[in-house]
Amino acid sequence: MFDAMMIGLDAAFQWHNLMYVVIGCLVGTFIGMLPGLGPITAIALMIPITYSIGPSSGMILMAGVYYGAIFGGSTSSILINAPGIAGTVASSFDGYPLAMKGQAGKALAIAAWASFTGGTIGAVMLMVAAPTLAEVSLSFHSGDYVMLMLVGLTAIAAFSSNGEFLKAMMMTVFGLALSTIGIDPSSGTERFTFGQPDLLDGLSFLLIAMATFALSEALMNVIKPDSAKDTSMGGNQLGSFKLSKDEVKEIAPSVGRSSILGFLIGVLPGAGATIASFMAYAAERNLAPARFKKEFGQGAKRGLAAPEAANNAACTGSFVPLLTLGIPGSGTTAIMLGALIAYGLQPGPLLMQENPDVFWSVIVSMYFGNVVLLILNLPLIPYLAKVLVLPKSLLTIFILFFSLIGVYLVSFNTFDLFMMIGFAFVAVVLRILQFPMAPLLLGFILGDMIERNFRRAMLISDGSFSFIWERPLTLSILIVAIVVLLVPLLGFVKNRRAKTTATPD
Amino acid sequence: MTRQLLGPALFLVFFTFYGIYAWQIPLLPFEQYEVVDSSTMPKLYAMAGALFSFLAIVSHIIKSKEPQGEQKPLGITKHTVRQTAIIMLLMVIYSALLDPLGFIVATLIFLISGFWVMGERRARIVLFASVPMVVFFWLLMTQLLDIYLAPGSIWS
Repeated sequence: MFDAMMIGLDAAFQWHNLMYVVIGCLVGTFIGMLPGLGPITAIALMIPITYSIGPSSGMILMAGVYYGAIFGGSTSSILINAPGIAGTVASSFDGYPLAMKGQAGKALAIAAWASFTGGTIGAVMLMVAAPTLAEVSLSFHSGDYVMLMLVGLTAIAAFSSNGEFLKAMMMTVFGLALSTIGIDPSSGTERFTFGQPDLLDGLSFLLIAMATFALSEALMNVIKPDSAKDTSMGGNQLGSFKLSKDEVKEIAPSVGRSSILGFLIGVLPGAGATIASFMAYAAERNLAPARFKKEFGQGAKRGLAAPEAANNAACTGSFVPLLTLGIPGSGTTAIMLGALIAYGLQPGPLLMQENPDVFWSVIVSMYFGNVVLLILNLPLIPYLAKVLVLPKSLLTIFILFFSLIGVYLVSFNTFDLFMMIGFAFVAVVLRILQFPMAPLLLGFILGDMIERNFRRAMLISDGSFSFIWERPLTLSILIVAIVVLLVPLLGFVKNRRAKTTATPD
Repeated sequence: MTRQLLGPALFLVFFTFYGIYAWQIPLLPFEQYEVVDSSTMPKLYAMAGALFSFLAIVSHIIKSKEPQGEQKPLGITKHTVRQTAIIMLLMVIYSALLDPLGFIVATLIFLISGFWVMGERRARIVLFASVPMVVFFWLLMTQLLDIYLAPGSIWS
């Protein structure tokens, strides 16, 4: 393992890869700052570029964009109370009040230090957890993978959609259904191609990712402009970035606790940065001494540090299932999985052995990425914040242009562009009807893997479903999937009962 | 039909048609004897999708019998819908013109008309944001990265 780690270290510290971390962090911060655009869009826009630079560099660039976008999201949360992404909503609870008190610089410094610590603790934990889990997962069979993917799909639906579980499940199945378009790779049968030769290869994941995130998010900004946001802070003075010793002492325990909590939540499929940040915020509010408790919601430094540390640690944690099992736990890591597959790599337990350079260089680059975010982005924030006052009219059209040309540069086929616009239209309608997009993407990317593993499992068990109960591991994972499916149902029944007893007449 | 019901209803229609096609997937001769063939997963997805859509409709009907607060307004105006529709049309036109007009001309038309539709009327800003950007992108792709960009079939 040590040799493999050294290969990764060597790859991560090549000058061009260091440059990709810097570029990734800067681009991610820039896009993450734009309200309405999240890390998925940021990464989707990067995919066409990553195709030309090799798997290690591509993954390093995308990882940099990922945590850069999370950092950028907290900047817009703090400065203009407009979180770029859901994972930084909790940061605005106390970050924005701090900025309103004239301490925007201090709030940004707290966010940067907390993110740095969360990311670094997460990277250390990833370094320990990933190889261990990868070794364990070598004993997994096809049936176990099918069940694990079911857990991933049901968990993202159960956790990601504000109680709208059924909507998320419909989107998941929609994604799975879209993945069946094209020639069936196992038998060669054409499915849902309607005689169109352009559909024989199926829909490209880049097309779906761009349509459902980059294009539809940009179009949503046009159809439903968020005019309530206060953009005045974007161009103003931010005040001092220095933290006093007392302030560091006050936030340090919160940052430590939240980093560990964030990482553990990030590892769970479906949970991710949003739940981690909210849970860390709630935990800190409950743990805070009475004199600090009153400050929560009015500019508490712990209230800002906790979600920031947690969301960065969760981002790092979400790489554990991606790198070790080849199963993404979130929309963002789903895109990365798609990119890995496009490189011809097979993410999963063998990735560590067969492509140690990719596996370890991504992990090692995370340390460097966190340092870059701290020493490069923090001083640049006053300048990067100017992006918040850029005219939306220009930005929206640029995002549409980059999305369209990004897909065109990969396929050189205008049919793909028409398909993408069609899917973007569907995505806008679904967004208006408040359907979540991440489950669709996850379903689409996992669809092919589920089908292949299910076929293999059935073939090995001679056409019998006995593979489900023959191994305790498979059965246990299936039970977890069923429990995850049943939790929202029990919640619904409980709510109805409570309502019935509350209104007896 | 309310907003909450529209989504599940649309999905129910989609999964019904998807299911109909799934049952019509022509199987290859050797697949006839396999337990899992090309149509198995599509059939499962169609059934699962229809089930979830149906459950969503039923749960909406149950919920709608309870006293509800006023529905939140969507925050969408006729103006923004028209603007979005025009931008989508521009995207279609851009996609159609990319090959015949080439990258530079098609992109300039798309960007300038897009800025205009988004309400940007200052000619200096429109030109400054589009022309150097397109030229820089073209130079970067074709000269530096050696990536092919459509030169335009009508010019050659």
